[in-house]
Amino acid sequence: MGFEEIVAVEWKSFGLGDLTRYPLFTKEFLAFLKKIMPPHRHEELVFSIVVTARKPREAAAA
Amino acid sequence: MSLTETEIKESIIDTYTKVASNGRLVAERFYSPEELQGLPTSAVELALGVGNPVRHAGLRPGEVALDLGSGAGIDTLQAARKVGPSGKAIGLDMTPEMIRRARANAQAMGLANVEILEGPMEAMPIPDASVDAIISNGVINLTMRKSQVFREIHRVLKPGGRFCVADMLINGELPDEVLNHPTAWTG
Repeated sequence: MGFEEIVAVEWKSFGLGDLTRYPLFTKEFLAFLKKIMPPHRHEELVFSIVVTARKPREAAAA
Repeated sequence: MSLTETEIKESIIDTYTKVASNGRLVAERFYSPEELQGLPTSAVELALGVGNPVRHAGLRPGEVALDLGSGAGIDTLQAARKVGPSGKAIGLDMTPEMIRRARANAQAMGLANVEILEGPMEAMPIPDASVDAIISNGVINLTMRKSQVFREIHRVLKPGGRFCVADMLINGELPDEVLNHPTAWTG
């Protein structure tokens, strides 16, 4: 099994400020993250990426 | 102590059942005004993704598109507009409340080419080699069995089919207290 033509078409930093946009995260959780993560990570906790790929035209059975 | 798969799944369903709108804060970051035009408010204000996979999926009229973790439907509905009446957009989600919302939003738009299914992305209720393109937006990070999801993606895609996934990638290490926090798994 496999994929081909794998490309990361977007790659962006995602920090604490971005998380505040989401109703999934409570103020308590955001405060917890701010406290536990070192300051230099606050603007780049994770990356948001967009990846594209293709199943081969003659794919072997998975 | 690590969370079990069942605990995480129950927490995800509970979170996405209860989630309230945060206005257009997420949608306006990732979608243009033109892309949001004509979409129901409920779909726009419950955008919870981390990118805009439809923009990069290259969907064409007549294709079958599958949206993994379709939520309230913002990407499924846009996919339905791209594939047109000769195509089909399928949304797959495991949270009944989100399924209800997505179906209502498709109905509000008068889209007859949308089908919203309930099921896990680790065992999709989709036939083999039946989908031209798969999109997903901030959802695959929610499962502990990511390899199984990609096996399923491979199974349901037609030969030559493609996927476009927007998701999160951890930057370096995260403390155990974060990795084992339920909110870190549901958000």
